[in-house]
Amino acid sequence: MANKEKGLNTKLYAVIVFFGILAALVLITFTTFKSRYTAFHPDEVARSYVDTIVQTGDGYNAYKNALISKNYKYGDYIREYFIYPVIYRDTDYQPGADRGELKGYNDDEYIGEKTANDDGSLSGEFIAEMYKIYELLIDEYGWDNYDNIFRSYFNALVTIREQYFGDKYMTDEIMFTTLESNVRTYGEALTGTEEEFDENTGVQISEKATGRYQAKYGEDYKFTTTIKSENEIDAKLHIGLMNEDKLAKYKVSKEEIKDVKSYTVQVTDEDGTVVVENDITVVKIGQSWYVDDTTADMRALYLFYR
Amino acid sequence: MSENAQKKYMKKSEIATFGIGLFGVALLTGWMPDYTATFFADFAFKGKGFDSEAMASAISGVFLVAGIVGAVCELVIGYLVDNTKTKLGKVKPWIGFGVIPLALISMLVFVAPNTNNQTLAIVWMFVIYSLYTTFCCAVESPANCFGSLCSPNPSERSSAISIASFLRSVGQSGGMVVILVVGLIMKALMGEQQFKNAEGQGLDLVISTAVCALGLILFVMIFFTNNKERVPFTQEKVSLKDAVKVVFMNKNLLMVSLTKLCGFGRGVYGTVSLYIAIYLLGSKDLKLGLLLPMGIGTAVGTLLVNLVLKKFSTKKTFILFCMYGASSLAILFFVSKGIGFNSTLIIPFLILNFFCGLQHGNTNVTPNIMIADCVDEIEYKTGKRQEGLAYAGYGLFSKIASAFTKALGPWLLYTWSGYMVSADANVAYATQSDATLNKLLMIYTIIPAVFVVLQAVPIFFYDMVGEKKEMITKALIERREQAGLMQTEVKEG
Repeated sequence: MANKEKGLNTKLYAVIVFFGILAALVLITFTTFKSRYTAFHPDEVARSYVDTIVQTGDGYNAYKNALISKNYKYGDYIREYFIYPVIYRDTDYQPGADRGELKGYNDDEYIGEKTANDDGSLSGEFIAEMYKIYELLIDEYGWDNYDNIFRSYFNALVTIREQYFGDKYMTDEIMFTTLESNVRTYGEALTGTEEEFDENTGVQISEKATGRYQAKYGEDYKFTTTIKSENEIDAKLHIGLMNEDKLAKYKVSKEEIKDVKSYTVQVTDEDGTVVVENDITVVKIGQSWYVDDTTADMRALYLFYR
Repeated sequence: MSENAQKKYMKKSEIATFGIGLFGVALLTGWMPDYTATFFADFAFKGKGFDSEAMASAISGVFLVAGIVGAVCELVIGYLVDNTKTKLGKVKPWIGFGVIPLALISMLVFVAPNTNNQTLAIVWMFVIYSLYTTFCCAVESPANCFGSLCSPNPSERSSAISIASFLRSVGQSGGMVVILVVGLIMKALMGEQQFKNAEGQGLDLVISTAVCALGLILFVMIFFTNNKERVPFTQEKVSLKDAVKVVFMNKNLLMVSLTKLCGFGRGVYGTVSLYIAIYLLGSKDLKLGLLLPMGIGTAVGTLLVNLVLKKFSTKKTFILFCMYGASSLAILFFVSKGIGFNSTLIIPFLILNFFCGLQHGNTNVTPNIMIADCVDEIEYKTGKRQEGLAYAGYGLFSKIASAFTKALGPWLLYTWSGYMVSADANVAYATQSDATLNKLLMIYTIIPAVFVVLQAVPIFFYDMVGEKKEMITKALIERREQAGLMQTEVKEG
């Protein structure tokens, strides 16, 4: 018998090994997923939201863990409500509608000579110009009012790009690239930058600059975010106060929300001194927790270092 | 010649399950190195605030140490395999029992400890990946040498090895499909943004590793239940001195191993494929477009070698494919120069890339068949059958060659070619001079072509072919018949 090879029943052995390892792999994967996937841990969702904002002023990416991203890919939400209305501004585009028949400014016919021949240098100058707008908007609003930020920023982007390139060409890639580059630069303005050289060629790729955080908390500052306390909250009352129009835009209904928790997250510097605190509310839908961005007030995180 | 030399020993299903077993092993071992590096660098200790430069150096160190551990293990495992004598055979126990710790350790590589201590994190990376490398050697090395034991008939053995090598080469890229499918399922279950968040925590890598590890177990167990070692092992104990002698003193085996060393620069094209896509073809998205035709060419080449081997000896086949490989790369160079670096080049370049890929089928298959023949020769000369060490020696030379490739590629790209890195934060890839572009093309074509020719040189001194091979095969079968060692349940062809 081939499968009872001289004493060992290889078929039986194979079945036992397969199911034994299957069980072990499922257990390890499940445990790892549960412990690492932050959305299963309300305190970690709250802490990491604050951490993302406080470390680099990045309220833009923090939304990826908020209700806005429950049913939408965050980028798709921005496209639908803020980018396409700009690209298809001369059409009757409505968020979520089919754009197949619509002609927008992303059509190749709008590409001008400067756009066609740019090797990245002119785009660089344009992005640098847009940064001034971005900085003004963040200093004015913070990221809580993302409606204002996106609308004002993208409107300015259309005007300034036309001045630089001399055409009306506009794509979601241009808009995202410019915005995300500005978000990164804003973060570097807070944290400061180090002198960096390419390890293969020795070419300098960034210069040393002192950030706003460094100016206030020292060059080697280090912020740590921790949960200070879990706060009492009336879940029913909180759900009742949530903005229904916003939830509808997120394709979330109040009935889906199973639980609500509130935390105070504190940010300390290296010697343990509290530099800022912020309350934050998270809601549970299914097994996952999301920051309730419909009621969040994170202004303190954009002001503490000024 | 003895009748047994012409007999078909293997059931048809055995040839398939041998390949399935190698596919399973390659599915995991092909997945692990690259994705481990990604996991260690980007996800394992995300948000812990560790010093990034220290972590980057540590990760390089992890793979350097793993390379040394792997090289030592190749020899140690080869030595142990040759001293293994069980009812299941000498190789099967290593594969069938070794996959259990291999699957579990592979999984644990992707379960980083939750620590804020950077030293502990670095120690963990060194320990867990060295453990993985050790168990990987304990399974992969014996699995590769199973081909020489599956049949005493060299022709049947060659066919089995080439089919198995084809499935192994497919398995090596299987992980890319796994992560794609895992991603699609996660997206469907979690929604796009939540999938992105989970991906940002490396969780798709964890699940994909579990799938690859389970694939390893499933496919290897199919092999384990269906395949038999049909070449009887010799009873003499192999000493450490004999072990070293086998690897370095048998001329034919040494020549096969030296092909790896002489051809180490064949792989430098991988270093520049991204830049070829960007600068010569016009889009970095075409990198996959470059690798895909070459990958398909490699798979087709693996099957093609099997056909050529039916007409020519292993020696002629190897040299023939090397000459073909060098010529196809030279043609690619001249065609690219002739057309110029613009979008017109894309289609001819990708088509020629397929034809360049065909040669890799040869390097995947023919040396493995040659080593099996060398094992016969060693047994004929010494009376000892040492598959473990023979394949371990080849594996050792492969690892050294791979280290040379990894050193040469970046040197050619960043120093020799004069490649300019963009100094402008808003320009990803700087404009390159014509001289640099020509050199990039040479790194992709002419330089590998030179090494393809060089790898053929040792094979001119290889002589385990023709009458000598027939005589040895016949003598070994007769010897085994006299000793009453031949399997009784062989199947007539």
